[in-house]
Order: sequence, then structure tokens, then C-alpha cells
Amino acid sequence: MTLVAGVDIGSTTAKCILIENGEIVGKSLAPVGVELVKDAERALSQALTESGRERREVTVVTGTGYGRFKVAFGQFTVTEIGCHAKGAHFLFPGTRVVLDIGGQDTKAIKVDPRGEVVDFAMNDKCAAGTGRFLDVCAGALGYDVSEIGALSLGARHPVKVTNTCTVFAESEVTSYVARGKDPKDILAGLYGGIVSRSLSLMQRVGVEPEVTFTGGVSKNEGMVRTLEHRLVLKINVSPLSQYVGAIGAALYGLERVGGIPA
Amino acid sequence: MVDATAEPQFLTTARDRQRAMVEEYYAGLADAGGPKKPVAYMLVGGNLTELVRSFGYEVVFPEIVALNCAIKHVSLPNILHAESQGYGLDVCGYVKNDLGLQELGGQTPFGRIPPPDLLVCSFSGCYVYVKWWEALAEKYGCPLFMLDVPYMRDDPPLPEDVQYIVAQLNEFIALLEKTTGRTFDLAELKRMLAHSRKAEEGWVNYLASGRRRPSPIEAYFEAVFYMFPINVLRGTPAAAEFYATVNSEVDERVRTGTFPVPEEKFRLVVEGVPPYPSYRTFWDFFRKWGAVSVAATYPKVGGLFDRGFLHDPARPLESIAEYSLGAYVNQSWPLRRKLIEEYVRDFGADAVLIHGIKSCRSFTAGQGDLRDRLIHDLGIPTLYIESDHEDPRYFAPAQIKNRMDAFFESLDRRRGSTPLPLVTT
Repeated sequence: MTLVAGVDIGSTTAKCILIENGEIVGKSLAPVGVELVKDAERALSQALTESGRERREVTVVTGTGYGRFKVAFGQFTVTEIGCHAKGAHFLFPGTRVVLDIGGQDTKAIKVDPRGEVVDFAMNDKCAAGTGRFLDVCAGALGYDVSEIGALSLGARHPVKVTNTCTVFAESEVTSYVARGKDPKDILAGLYGGIVSRSLSLMQRVGVEPEVTFTGGVSKNEGMVRTLEHRLVLKINVSPLSQYVGAIGAALYGLERVGGIPA
Repeated sequence: MVDATAEPQFLTTARDRQRAMVEEYYAGLADAGGPKKPVAYMLVGGNLTELVRSFGYEVVFPEIVALNCAIKHVSLPNILHAESQGYGLDVCGYVKNDLGLQELGGQTPFGRIPPPDLLVCSFSGCYVYVKWWEALAEKYGCPLFMLDVPYMRDDPPLPEDVQYIVAQLNEFIALLEKTTGRTFDLAELKRMLAHSRKAEEGWVNYLASGRRRPSPIEAYFEAVFYMFPINVLRGTPAAAEFYATVNSEVDERVRTGTFPVPEEKFRLVVEGVPPYPSYRTFWDFFRKWGAVSVAATYPKVGGLFDRGFLHDPARPLESIAEYSLGAYVNQSWPLRRKLIEEYVRDFGADAVLIHGIKSCRSFTAGQGDLRDRLIHDLGIPTLYIESDHEDPRYFAPAQIKNRMDAFFESLDRRRGSTPLPLVTT
């Protein structure tokens, strides 16, 4: 039995996954602050607590995400691009394209049948279309981001949100609110805008089924529906979609110590 | 992983000589300007160095001054000054560095740049450059010669395009005779072109050594340093002597096994202008992965000598015209794409890295399509990243590093080699 951990330090949350015998046996998720080393340690200890395991039982820890170099107690690091490919392939083996929308970046990753990265494209120098963008716009509508997922499903006349900058989009949302537009229609407009930007990235790598949607924004039902509508394709979304990077990291670690072949 | 903080393990004779030549050149500019030693400003692409030097001009390339400012981390004050004069965020960083520097008095850490006595716009493919030279002409009231170089659509160039440029060169010679009071000395021009040819042969030999495995040269980061003589000092014996020094050092590297990285893991073709403000940081992102550029397009922006063209003293003006047409920066996208594909094949490259620059659409537009063509049609792993050649505000190290790490990781994985990099920084 080999117990391995993957720790994904993203821009807004820290995630940890424990894998043993090819199965996920523990997980944790918490916001990150400015002390990333402590956040990483906390993520691991919470996952261990949840699974009732001890730190000494963990054979290898692999870090990923922007803060991967702060997983100071780990043995290896892998970029989140490789980890999302690997993690998505683990959850949905037919995955050929991964769309990951996290706190501050969006990435489209083309993967081969083994879950290896073939190509990738990421948003550049602008957070519009990311989780942070939704956070800001939800706030402008008077909601918490966790409340807005299904709201847009009742939209009747979606507005057009033309700005591609988070700050300007917030002003645009505020303007629609002032004009008395239904929040459902505003949200539907926002999702349409985000999906357009995401499709542009996906087209750079080439869209083909199966598409797996990962990252915090994949928990938003309105976004999932809008994406499926635009792709004319059913997409894969796992209840563990926020953990995909950490899953991939754990699997890389497992491979490294000879647990299972990739 | 390679220790990216360590200095690149080259022998340093040639690099030391290149440094000294740059210092000598800028020191020589201190007393330049005016009737005794007039100064001509020129652009690198398809430049007319030999012709201008044959009339006794000293040559200044504001693009090279700008990149020297950027690599020495002093470009931003010049850029900000130009922006305060009304030049927008999207205007080319080279242009803003120069116009800001001119307004601030021309003083740089490597010497004072004298104002021009003559302006030669030798590359008209970029409209912003044309306006740049017009702004300088307005400021200094000196003669401005615009060489209209047709975009190179066919290889070899069309005879009518060559004749069109030759006709302009004759007009230019008349202007040079008028501005200097000298008579055109054809024998002197031919002598200079012979020096140039010798330097070009040496440069080509250096570039060709990237075919070796492992490559004894760094065809992007190192070659960029060695572009200086081929662009600025052509027509002088010093340029040819320099490449002789370079090539004996390359032989020495092969003999002693001193290579750009201790263990060559990835061979790359690189396209695009370097991010000069973060040159060493960018280079380290490659070295860390054992990646070496074995061929690159940017060192050929001034002239594409490694595909057969060399200046010919027997056909002086025609040869100069063909040179101007064939500079990499003047090539059409189908020709650029073909060249890159040939480099990948001829130099046994594993992948292509494209560095796009935000403030130059002239050079960068089309690189996205190039990436798609290389990946989707030819199956060549290709990474596109973007920052700027001059403006340090556009270099986002964390994002660039992340993309490069992911790219090299995926190359590594595709080879089925060791499953994980032991990256600690």
C-alpha cells in the first residue's frame, strides 16, 4: 500500500488529495492567505485528519499550482497544466480537452489518450473570465459567488456584457442593475461572455470530445449549461472538479515511486 | 535540472572581444557628429552600412542603442519620457526609448549617442518606423532618405524589385555626394563589401555549428550578442576578424566538451525578438531544463546570410539591393514559416519557441498562425509566449516561467523519460 499526497496551491484556494491503492482516500480545501507554506501544511494535515491517517504514512508529496514551490515539505513539483491533464484523465479516461477555470486563470489543455499534455493555451495578463471575475460581478449584483450558479437558468432576455476587463465589467453590471435589469439576465450575459473567452482558448488547442471542465468555476451550474450549449456537447464535470490539479499531482507522485504506471 | 543561477559555461574569449568591440564603438561615438565625422542613423533591417561608411559616415542604429538600454535596465525612463510627450502605450518600445532618450540628451551608461547628420530609413516595412524617422527629421532638420524596400514575396527576389532598389540607391548616392561633398568611390565600396563577405562567411560558419549534437553554440541568447559586428561593423576588417575568433572558440568548445548546458536535453528553434529587459531571466528559464536553441530567426533580422546570400563585391549595388530585400524582417509569412520548418528539420530540433512582443505588431502579427501551423499541421511542439523587447512592464516572470515549465514538462513526458522533474525553484 502506497499513500501519496498531491497539494495544489492555487491563487485562491489550497487543495489536498490523498490517494492509496488507486483510490482517493482523503481531501481538503481551504482559502489561501499570504503564508503559503503554512497553507500547504494545513491542507495536508486536514486531508490526513479527514481520512484518519498519519503524516508518517505518506510516501511522497507532490506540489502543484502557482504556489507549488511553497509545498516545502514535498518531494516533487509539477505544473498545474500537467496535473490537470493527469487528474482529468483519471476521473474521465476519455478526456481529450480540459477546460480549467480557476481563481485567476483559465487554461485549455489538449491531452492524448494517456492523459499527457499535447498542447495548452492560457489567458494572458487579464483575469476577465476567471473565478475572480465571477466573484466581483456576483458582488456587484449583491450575491455571494456560491449563490449565483443556477440563477441564470431562469434568464429570459440575457444582456450583453461587452467588456473583457474585470473592473470595467463590474461597472457594466452596476449599470445594468441601475437600469433595472433582472439579475438572471445579467448573469446569463456574464456567463456568455466568459464562455466566449474560454472557447477562444479551447479552439487554439482544438475542441474534440470528451471535454472535461475543472476548477472552481466548474461548480457553477449556469456556466456548465452555457458551455454545453455553445459547444453543443455534453461535458464532464466531477464533484471533485476543484481537486483535479491535486489529484494529478498525487498521481504523478505515485508514478514516481513506482506505485502504478501512468 | 541545471543550476540556472550559475553562469553559462562558455569559453569567454569571443564574448570578451565582443564586449570590447561594443565599448570601442560607443567610445568612438563620443567625438562623432558634424562635418569631420558625420553620423548617419539607420535601421538594422536591410541596412546600407557599407555604402554609408564608404562616404565617411559613422553609423548609429537606434534600435541597437534601445536594446542596449533595455538589457542594462535603463529603457523605462526613456519610454516614460516619450509617453509624457504623447506617444501611446502601444507605440513600439524601440521608438519610445529613442525619442525619449533624444529628448533627455542622449546620455546612456555606455556613452553619449550623438544626434544625426543624416537619417536613412532603410526598412520601410514598418509604418511606425517611417514615422519615427520623420519625427527625428523634424527634430534635427537633417536630410532624410527613405528606402522603399518591397516586401519579399518570392525567393529568390524578383529582378524588378532588385532594379527598383538599385534605382533608389543611385538616388541615395547622389544625396550622399551632396551632403558630404565627396565623389562616390566604387572601389572603396567594393573593398568594404569584400570585408563584409568575409565576416558573413564567418557568421554563417558559426550559425551552422548549431547542427552538431550537442550544440556548441546557443543560437539565440549567445548569437544575439554576436549580431553586433554583422549588423554594425560590416565593411570593416574587424568584423571578419571577430568571427574568426568566434569560430576558433567554437572549435575549442567542441574539443574540450564545453557546451551551453552541461547536458543538452532539448534542442529548440526560437522565433521572435528577445525580452531584452529580462534577458538573463528568460535565458535561465531555458537553461534550467537543459534546453539549447540550435537555430533562431531573430539573429537574421538584419540579413539572412545562412541561406545562401552573401554580399558580392563584383555586383555592388545589386548585391546590396538583394541583401535589403532578403533580410528576415522583410520576408513574407510563407517564407518565414518555410524557413522555420527547414530549421527544425535541418538542425534536428525538438520544438519551437515563439516569443511575441507586445509593442511590435509588424514583427509579431502572424506568429499565432505560425504556432497553429506548426502544431496542428506539422505536429511540431510549439510554445507561444509574449512580453516585450524593450518595455520591462510587460514581462510577467511567474506566468512565463509557468508556461515554459509546463511546455518542457510535456516534452519530457512525450519522450517517456523520467516521470517527474526534481524542480525545487
